[in-house]
Amino acid sequence: MNKKMTMLSLSLVLAMSIVLSACGSSNESGGTAKGDVKTVTIFQFKTEIVEGLNELAVEFNKEYPNIKLDIQTVGGGADYGASLKTKFAAGDAPDIFSNGGYAEMEMWLDKLEDLSDQAWVKDLVPLAAEPMTKDGKVYGMAMNLEGFGYIYNKDIFAKSGITELPKTYSQLEAAAKTLKAAGITPFANAYQEWWLIGNQGINPAFAQQPDVNAFIAGLNDGSVKIPGNEKFADWAKLMKLTMDYGNKNPLTTDYNTQVSLFASGEAAMMQEGNWAQVQIDSINPDLNIGVLPMPLGEDAEANDKLNVGIPANLVINKESDVKEEAKTFLNWLVTSDIGKEYIVKKFKFIPALSTIIATPEDMGDIGTEVYNYVQADKVLGLQSSKYPDGVTQEFASVIQQYIAGKIDASAWETGMQGAWDKLKK
Amino acid sequence: MGSKRMSGWWPQLVFVGPVTIFFLLIMIIPFLLGMYYSFTDWNGVAGTVNWVGFDNFKQIFTNDADFWSSFWFTIRFTVVGVLLTNLVGFFLAYLLTKKLKSRNVLRTIFFMPNVIGGLLLGFIWQFIFVKGFSTVGDMTGWSFFNLPWLGDETTGFWGITMVFVWQSAGYLMVVYIASLTNVSKEVLEAAEIDGATRFQVLRGIILPLIMPAITVCLFLAISWSFKMFDLNLSLTKGGPFKSTESVALNIYAEAFQNNRYGLGTAKSLIFFIVVAVITLIQVRVTKSKEVEA
Repeated sequence: MNKKMTMLSLSLVLAMSIVLSACGSSNESGGTAKGDVKTVTIFQFKTEIVEGLNELAVEFNKEYPNIKLDIQTVGGGADYGASLKTKFAAGDAPDIFSNGGYAEMEMWLDKLEDLSDQAWVKDLVPLAAEPMTKDGKVYGMAMNLEGFGYIYNKDIFAKSGITELPKTYSQLEAAAKTLKAAGITPFANAYQEWWLIGNQGINPAFAQQPDVNAFIAGLNDGSVKIPGNEKFADWAKLMKLTMDYGNKNPLTTDYNTQVSLFASGEAAMMQEGNWAQVQIDSINPDLNIGVLPMPLGEDAEANDKLNVGIPANLVINKESDVKEEAKTFLNWLVTSDIGKEYIVKKFKFIPALSTIIATPEDMGDIGTEVYNYVQADKVLGLQSSKYPDGVTQEFASVIQQYIAGKIDASAWETGMQGAWDKLKK
Repeated sequence: MGSKRMSGWWPQLVFVGPVTIFFLLIMIIPFLLGMYYSFTDWNGVAGTVNWVGFDNFKQIFTNDADFWSSFWFTIRFTVVGVLLTNLVGFFLAYLLTKKLKSRNVLRTIFFMPNVIGGLLLGFIWQFIFVKGFSTVGDMTGWSFFNLPWLGDETTGFWGITMVFVWQSAGYLMVVYIASLTNVSKEVLEAAEIDGATRFQVLRGIILPLIMPAITVCLFLAISWSFKMFDLNLSLTKGGPFKSTESVALNIYAEAFQNNRYGLGTAKSLIFFIVVAVITLIQVRVTKSKEVEA
């Protein structure tokens, strides 16, 4: 009996250790000085640029032999956040890491170095500076711009006889009908992916509010409600449209399946952004594609905007021993010729600094379209980083209920409100 | 006398001491720290940690429907999972202790899924459910394969259950095999001579004699299915709309996604107590049924 009890308690403690093991409180910086060479640790989550970053690190080391870069990557939303916290808790904090801006900046604020005096700050496009600006101080460098909307296949549109691009809900509905009649699936929906709906998809409903910051503040203090809001009602209609004219089983369709449905020409449109370009090219490089806005209601001018956001900003750990070296690297990244070249040619980024020039060939069809919208200032900023932590996942779960037909549009609005109320501070 | 006591203490210190130190460092101290955090509002990052007393627990019990629905999911999953893994494990063992030519090969095959990590298995099975099943469905037209696998509550639940049973039944099979081969041949022969049917032998002799194995297997299956995290994460991520969210996943999301570390640890403390009570009862009950041959 005794032995069994020991085994029992041991296993139970083991069970808990999964959740509890990340505790700890010491706070030391990670950079270690070995002789004259100093190491700057970079912790980031863009798995697709790891190779390029490592090449860049070699180039950087040639110019600055005294600074060595150690690049560590952990991919994917929540996992990155959890590992970053673990690293800080374990006293192994990186010198440079990524931050999403707005609410996430607030959360990490007491670890962030003020970068306002850096030379590149004045070159940030206004949209890119905003997420990391607080009380007039800039705390991070935007890595790139990412834009999304409904990516569409120009050839299919032309073949089906759609000459005028849909800019309003009813025009989009008409286009979807035409496409369906031509035997093509109008929308490829990957509604299994929480980020596609809860983080990005819902964005127009927020960003099209007359004053989005006031709207979000109102949600937080309870003076504004989602149920009854016109933009959300319009959004529910738009969502319904993509479901009615979409592929079957949208809730088990993932990002890869969606992109291959689109790239193979089975579907004419999909809600995605310029990050999908590389993947589309790998399936069908000759595809002729553009980006449509996500229309809410019938105002063509208000709708003719793409959603654009900053996926990540590089920030510097205030407690790092090698702050100056880290600043040197950030500066070199966006000012040196080789750094600039890597950003546009190798990473295929839409640059967030006005001093970096990208050509349409570098950015691809989607990127160019997004870039043009940014230049024309026809953008809806990505709002998700302003929401309370965890709301985007919570939104996704409510939207999935709506997609599955568990709840109707008005219950959906109530559910969205409930998600917000549960997580607001 | 003195030297005798010394010889008792020294080996204990040398052999158990290092393990105890590591156990304290890696298990007990984090556990106590976690208990502390469950009474705070720490977000996992900030330098300031505020003591909030029982607020976290109050919130869980009064205003957290998701936690309780994930608890309900975990309980349903545990009941079904424990029953099925043990039944499948036992009958595999029962068959593979018969004189089959291929039994060593089969034992290896059934044990194999246990060697592969849960995350990997989950992703493989997700592919099978989503792509494989729908392809088979398109070819054969069987409605079973045309269900939206992992796309609604029911298929999500049974999808996870199937993979869980497939993964863990092999391990329990090994425990049962070890126990079954230890059942004494004399007793079985005596029963056969007395004219007992196969079912009577199974119920009246084999089951009582392998009760220690049943205790262990039930215990393992209960704790595995309560703690189930990796399969859940890789197969459905708790979706669609949180209908397949296990408690472990809910706690993880609370602590690391919603950045409410204090609340998350409070949930895990409640979870710990519940699981501890259930397993204690189970071990006590099955222990009392154990007999000597």
